[in-house]
Amino acid sequence: MAGRGKLIAVIGDEDTCTGFLLGGVGELNKNRKPNFLVVEKDTSITEIEETFKSFLARNDIGIILINQFVAEMIRHAIDAHLQSIPAVLEIPSKEHPYDASKDSILRRARGMFSAEDFR
Amino acid sequence: MSPEMKDISLRLDAKLLQFMDQLEDLEEKREKINLLIEQGWFSMSKARYSMGHKQVSALQYASEMEPLVRIHTRKLDTGEAEFQTERRELGSDEVENIGAKEEGLRRRMNKSQNAAKENEEMTEEPKSTKTRHTQHQDPLKWFGILVPQNLKQAQTAFKQVIELSAQIAALQSSVLATRGELQVLMKEKQKMTEAAKN
Repeated sequence: MAGRGKLIAVIGDEDTCTGFLLGGVGELNKNRKPNFLVVEKDTSITEIEETFKSFLARNDIGIILINQFVAEMIRHAIDAHLQSIPAVLEIPSKEHPYDASKDSILRRARGMFSAEDFR
Repeated sequence: MSPEMKDISLRLDAKLLQFMDQLEDLEEKREKINLLIEQGWFSMSKARYSMGHKQVSALQYASEMEPLVRIHTRKLDTGEAEFQTERRELGSDEVENIGAKEEGLRRRMNKSQNAAKENEEMTEEPKSTKTRHTQHQDPLKWFGILVPQNLKQAQTAFKQVIELSAQIAALQSSVLATRGELQVLMKEKQKMTEAAKN
């Protein structure tokens, strides 16, 4: 397992998942749960959160790609993830362009500065 | 200013500059990846226009998929993580026609780890190798035998996005590690300042 490399997981709308699956990240077989979730209009927040947490619990996923609008729905779960692996990358969707001010990582990076620190 | 204070101030400045450089690099890569993703979607939309709306959707996903790209991760002592992609190259049609030895050679060029061992395995069991290769199907084939060039362009764009994702993941972890180091240095300087006052 250690020599094989980890997977790249995707949680996103149909176009996002189709794009990345075209790129070759997808794993789907009878033995294991898929490493992607297609988020549709009727997909519940619970399902998204459970899938995200299941990806974090797996030790064979290196990166989780997630549409930012989906990340907003489970922001508390993403903010609670402080480990470097798996890395969580927020990506835009067709209807929601990327907004750096919402990105968990950038918010943590910016949050350290205050006027006092520069005296 | 005492020498220790000077030293820590210099270290703080250097660390801050490193942090800013990393943030700038991250922003640049972010812009690049977002642009590539949008290009990918645009190409997909054009393919959908010529093939039919339902011909490029989740309905076409295969019932079994094998990942063609994997990510090797390594955690450093500093808390940073390294990410390296490894892509399995396809060429299944060509491989089926080539003899066992050449097949082994092709596999050796594509695999980055345990190459020698696998090479031996390949030459000993050419049949099983061929079976494995046919299972690694190009996802482009899910959408039909002859797909428009736009869909191939979409695939190329997303392949580049995946490579960039690994770089961004590494940068994100570097940025957070540097931020942690900065906080430690700032606290040290604050302690020194308070000690000097007293």
